[in-house]
Amino acid sequence: MNYPFWDVPVLSGGGVIGLIAVYHLLIALFAVGGGLYLPIAERKAIREGREDWLRVLRRHAKFFLVLTAAFGTTSGVGIWFAIGLANPEATSTLIHNFVFGWAIEYVFFIVELTMAAAYYYTWDKIDRGLHLKIGYIYAASSFLTLVIINGILTFMLTPGETWLSVAGSGNEASVFWYAFFNPTYFPSLVIRTLIAWSLAGIWALVTASRIDGFAYPGLKKQIISWSAKWLIPAFVLVPFCFLWYLAMVPESNRQLLDLGISTIGQGTFTQVTRSALITVMTSATIIALVYFVAVRNSRSFNLGWAISILLLALAATGATEQAREMLRKPYVIGDFMYSNGVRKYEVAKFNSEGYLAHSIWKSKDTSSMTDVDRGELMFRGQCGACHTQTGYRGMSVLLKDRDERSIENIVGMLHAYNDDSPYRKYMPPLVGKDDEMKALVAYLKTLPAKPAK
Amino acid sequence: MDASLSQEPNRGRRTLAAAIYGWVDERLDLTGLIAHAREKAVPEHRHSFWYYWGGISLFFFVVQVLSGILLLVYYRPGPEAYESVRQITYDIQFGWLIRSAHSWSANLMVLAVFVHMFSVFFMRAYRKPREFGWWTGLILLGLTLVFGFSGYLLPMDDLAYFATKVGLEIPAAIPLVGTLVTEIVRGGPEITDVTIQRFFALHVVILPFLYLPFLAIHVWLVQKHGNALPPSEEAKPEPERRSIRFFPDFFAKDMGMWLLSLNILAILASLFPWQLGPQADELAAAPQGIHPEWYFMSQFQILKVFGRWFPGAVGEFLGIGLFTAGLIIWAVIPFIDSRSASGSRARTAFYIGLAALLGLIAITIWGYWEL
Amino acid sequence: MINESTIKEIISSQGEDEPEGEDMSRRSFLWMGAGAIGAVYIGAIGYPVYRYLATPAERAAQAAAVTQTTLDGADKLPVNTALMFKFGTKPAMLIRHADGTFSAFNAVCTHLGCTVAYDTAAAKITCACHGGEYDPTSGSNLAGPPPKPLTRFNVEVQDGRVTVARA
Repeated sequence: MNYPFWDVPVLSGGGVIGLIAVYHLLIALFAVGGGLYLPIAERKAIREGREDWLRVLRRHAKFFLVLTAAFGTTSGVGIWFAIGLANPEATSTLIHNFVFGWAIEYVFFIVELTMAAAYYYTWDKIDRGLHLKIGYIYAASSFLTLVIINGILTFMLTPGETWLSVAGSGNEASVFWYAFFNPTYFPSLVIRTLIAWSLAGIWALVTASRIDGFAYPGLKKQIISWSAKWLIPAFVLVPFCFLWYLAMVPESNRQLLDLGISTIGQGTFTQVTRSALITVMTSATIIALVYFVAVRNSRSFNLGWAISILLLALAATGATEQAREMLRKPYVIGDFMYSNGVRKYEVAKFNSEGYLAHSIWKSKDTSSMTDVDRGELMFRGQCGACHTQTGYRGMSVLLKDRDERSIENIVGMLHAYNDDSPYRKYMPPLVGKDDEMKALVAYLKTLPAKPAK
Repeated sequence: MDASLSQEPNRGRRTLAAAIYGWVDERLDLTGLIAHAREKAVPEHRHSFWYYWGGISLFFFVVQVLSGILLLVYYRPGPEAYESVRQITYDIQFGWLIRSAHSWSANLMVLAVFVHMFSVFFMRAYRKPREFGWWTGLILLGLTLVFGFSGYLLPMDDLAYFATKVGLEIPAAIPLVGTLVTEIVRGGPEITDVTIQRFFALHVVILPFLYLPFLAIHVWLVQKHGNALPPSEEAKPEPERRSIRFFPDFFAKDMGMWLLSLNILAILASLFPWQLGPQADELAAAPQGIHPEWYFMSQFQILKVFGRWFPGAVGEFLGIGLFTAGLIIWAVIPFIDSRSASGSRARTAFYIGLAALLGLIAITIWGYWEL
Repeated sequence: MINESTIKEIISSQGEDEPEGEDMSRRSFLWMGAGAIGAVYIGAIGYPVYRYLATPAERAAQAAAVTQTTLDGADKLPVNTALMFKFGTKPAMLIRHADGTFSAFNAVCTHLGCTVAYDTAAAKITCACHGGEYDPTSGSNLAGPPPKPLTRFNVEVQDGRVTVARA
């Protein structure tokens, strides 16, 4: 292990990634969908001679440019900073495999940004045909960034047999395209495209809500009705695509979905299932609100409603992404690297030679340290990816009602990692020599919240 | 049989539906009701957002009734109270979800009722002819708070026990009759299963029995007088005022608000399920910083600081007196600000409202700060 | 390019009062959409509520699905007596005959569902409700109204434990 985990109190590194990622996704998918929305709407307006539409679209283009170029790009870079800190081993694997992919994406990204700026600033200044072409180039390049990044994101859940057969050999990059076009690549690409398409409609409603519906009722009604139609493809097709996606997910991960239903048996759904249900519910609400409040009541549809719909979209996106991340457990890269950065093939080595002996990041000699201090190093190395001491998935709460004996038991269970262990489904094994396990237990015993006096 | 029924199934279905509608319509005059709803107009302006809060409060009340009925299926008041809530939370399938929905919805309802009250106040919607709407609203608010207080004890975990214990200090501070009234409510000097039984009767029988008629009057009054215009709209000449039809336009948005509320509730209840603490033990020391629910925090804090400044019965008397005086002013505000035009009396009312709102928020924050 | 009058013209030509030309396919699509959304809500709320209310029934079904149960120390049961116990959710009886062998039955009378008892004096299983009688070894209905024999369980004795299992 080359690096420790980024110790973020309360939130955990994963939480930081999650917050940035959901925010980024809402804008990035809008950049893709909106890239198509603008030129298509512009073309329609020009053909049908709707000058009033063009004014609204120009305002939308400005809003679009500011949102995607300023907030979208910075948050995108933010994700890379965050994942590099929060899960360095996984990031390193991704870079070793996909550095070429990122290079391609970067090219499209530069084209995309340039065209977005050109599109807005040349409005009414150049020939309309040429202006439209700029719009389409923007749309194509921004869609291609999705095409690329989708390969890398889906790789993490399903790297595919071919890549796994060379994983760890140093020749991983030779099977780049197998890893890229992995089993979940296409269903995921279709779903993301559909979502991008519908987000373009939702963000267009934000712009449309600013039109004074009492002064321009016809214009507002038309733009809202036309934008609302952008939600239809996703509404009709996403449920089917989701089944297709699930069919491509390995059986073991799929089991995680109904873990709550079948094994715990109390109806205490796992987070994955709860998140998925929230996605379904919020999506249904979005459709209902868009139809009944926006389309049927266009005149008085205001910014507050548009923002509410946007926040529902945020909840739906956030819940979906969380479900997708959780689905990957116990791995960060499917069947190759556990979520705490331990590679599957390293487990035996760490168990016999010691985990801390292979942790380059701890500078001091650990032999003279107390058990508790060494245990803390173990915790930071192996637990910190998902757990904090007192915050998100905090150990002080999780261990609250456990006595010392049961802390030993649970560490022992995670270390043994037997085939029938229920934890296998979502937690990685704890690796290390017996004395390291003892040290970890000693540290964990210091964490449970003491009852208030 | 009608020949068209077999030839054109679609048309047949429609005539059947029309026949049923016609049958009901003849007796209940649905057409007249819908026509009336279509004629009704709801003002549309910058402050229209606040019109939805009464409906949102009503939605959470409906959730309370339905989830409460579901909890009744397994809840057992008396000595087994804690055990039955434990079963609901950990044993019965989805019991945790129903209970979380009930608890979250209770808090959201209190919040919505407060927002509704202050928005009505600042729109000066208590003026003639809406005084009775204001008073029934205050009664409903009071009942809502008692609902919250009585429901909080029912799980009988340690938080519920101690929060109720300190919460009952508020009525106990009433001069002369306080102790007596409190002991009647509590069923003795200490909180026991007798108290649970009483609170249960209060929570599921007495309070709904009182609440529903006032709710009916309140809603009927809104329907009778329509939505009040805020002063900024009243100032506009008639032709510049905008409005939308109650049905289907406002109704669709109102239902949209209900859906939004349902989504917020679902997210809170499923991702942040309500916890159940250890069983209450009257011999155990109270946990640090024990306090009543957030909506009683201001009263609790006022009693606390008055008790500190004026030890003994004087402090209690002053604390309760301050609250009672505030409540009386709040109730008679339609008389203080009775003119329709905006004048100095309207300004006075506005400052009273502002003082009440900021005061409540500040004292509540102060209370949490001191824990 | 655009002046105020053209805008006004466009607006006036696109008033709110455009005819509601909803053809059947559009209408049925909307109905389908509304139905789908409604189904999502009914499912998301109805499923947990159903499971919540059905829990006791499900538990009972699980308990009834019990195929065997172990009775500790039942081998010390005196001869010519019976031990009543619960098999799943239903009452059952273990009888020790005079020769020391065991028989076990579902103790629900096949007539109207009363719980039967072992009559030590007559060495018979009797039902107090309507006077039904059963054979204590085979469970066959000897007298009275019972239409069928009692359901018999297999009994196995090992290391001081008596295991009763569904036949």
